[in-house]
Amino acid sequence: MASLVREDKGGKWSSDLILDLYANLLAEIWEVVSALIGEAILAFLFTLAIQKLGEKYPFLNSLKVSEEGVSLEGVREDYRTVAPVEIHRGFQSLVNHLSHLFSALAEGVINKELFPKVFPKFKEAERIISQK
Amino acid sequence: MRLIFKNLNVLRSTINAISTSIEIKEIVESAGNNLPNLFDFSSFGVFWKEDLLLFLYQEDSCPPPFTQEVVKNMIKVFSVLGEEPIEEDRITLQVEKRKMRPKQMMMDPKATLKSHLTLPLTVEGEILGCISLNSDQSNAFDAQDLQFLSVIGYQMAATLKHFQRFSSIKNIAIYDTLTGLYNRRYFEERLGMDAQKSFYGGTPLSLVMVDIDHFKKVNDTFGHTEGDQVLCRVSSLLKSSIRKKDTVARYGGEEFILILPEAGLEASFVIAERIRRLIENTLFEVGRAQINLTVSMGISNFPSHRAKSKEELIKMADQALYDAKRGGRNKVCIFAGKSAPWTVPT
Repeated sequence: MASLVREDKGGKWSSDLILDLYANLLAEIWEVVSALIGEAILAFLFTLAIQKLGEKYPFLNSLKVSEEGVSLEGVREDYRTVAPVEIHRGFQSLVNHLSHLFSALAEGVINKELFPKVFPKFKEAERIISQK
Repeated sequence: MRLIFKNLNVLRSTINAISTSIEIKEIVESAGNNLPNLFDFSSFGVFWKEDLLLFLYQEDSCPPPFTQEVVKNMIKVFSVLGEEPIEEDRITLQVEKRKMRPKQMMMDPKATLKSHLTLPLTVEGEILGCISLNSDQSNAFDAQDLQFLSVIGYQMAATLKHFQRFSSIKNIAIYDTLTGLYNRRYFEERLGMDAQKSFYGGTPLSLVMVDIDHFKKVNDTFGHTEGDQVLCRVSSLLKSSIRKKDTVARYGGEEFILILPEAGLEASFVIAERIRRLIENTLFEVGRAQINLTVSMGISNFPSHRAKSKEELIKMADQALYDAKRGGRNKVCIFAGKSAPWTVPT
């Protein structure tokens, strides 16, 4: 796995770049969606999504979810050697699953607010991955 | 701006009504009465997982197929929330219909569910159920509706959790933890109410005290765990032998007591005899062995025994039980004062 982690021009690990990007994305999702459905329900949905995907992407189990938000610090500490593409796929699945839950609950109401913010971040992550 | 203030006021009074409700039905009604001022919906549903109860508060003209669709959708969404799928026929459905729309806007009899907002009722990471707003119109709800519904759902979940805690405290206070029968404390409270009704209304009331014969031998031979199993089995036999209006409680150790309202001496004797025979004919599995057990019973009755208080009625039943024990056990004795106890040969 370690061979897949390379340093970019600025000296920052690409895994860290992906993590930074998803930390921002999850913070943004939290901000938008918690204003719509409240922190307690959102924390519940995040936990549910992580439980669902944790077996396939074990690093997701290190995410800390509380009514204050989602923290990626555990992932940074425990999974430094995970390939960036794997991190990207894990977070992509997480966001997709959350989006599926939002749609089951509120049809398009949540996703309509969220989509314009999430989509460019996905593109950015894909760009980083493809550069490596 | 004025509209936002109006909506916030309605929201405030809805939350207030929910938080001061004292039972789940009242919560739904309080919310339902206020919600038409906030949302334009056809049906509002609350599903409570613990009791598998689904309350629907809906427009009077909601056709039955629409109601069915709402129920199915709520169950489907609930299972998406990580819960085991629930069979629809296990759910108790309660529908409250109200006229929420003017005549010209009544629902089409062929109306189908076109949009919904459903939110889980969660407290401290635990899911208690879900609430749902449903409409026969497409795209009926927007982001502000979702915000308001989430605030209502949050308050509902907190109130339901409070009920759940209260009900578990109540259970501890009135039930015997081993057998699941009422405990002695509840028995005394219940007898107080039933006795008052009988003493003032002149209706009969019987007490039957039950004691398992030679129960100490079961404990000494097979151990206390097996003894506890026997107590549970006897308890369920007692429970299945009484009428709906009767009360059965664990009085202490291997002693049980039955309150039989509106039962004269003859009726209570028939019930007691039926129980005695049932236990005598039951094979109790104790460890790897199968054993037979018997019970002795004592009956007291108002007005036949002229008891002046519930305490006196208990003493009389206890005295009759003592007579049954002294008379050789596996007997039902009726209180006989200072004269010889009245029994039926077994």
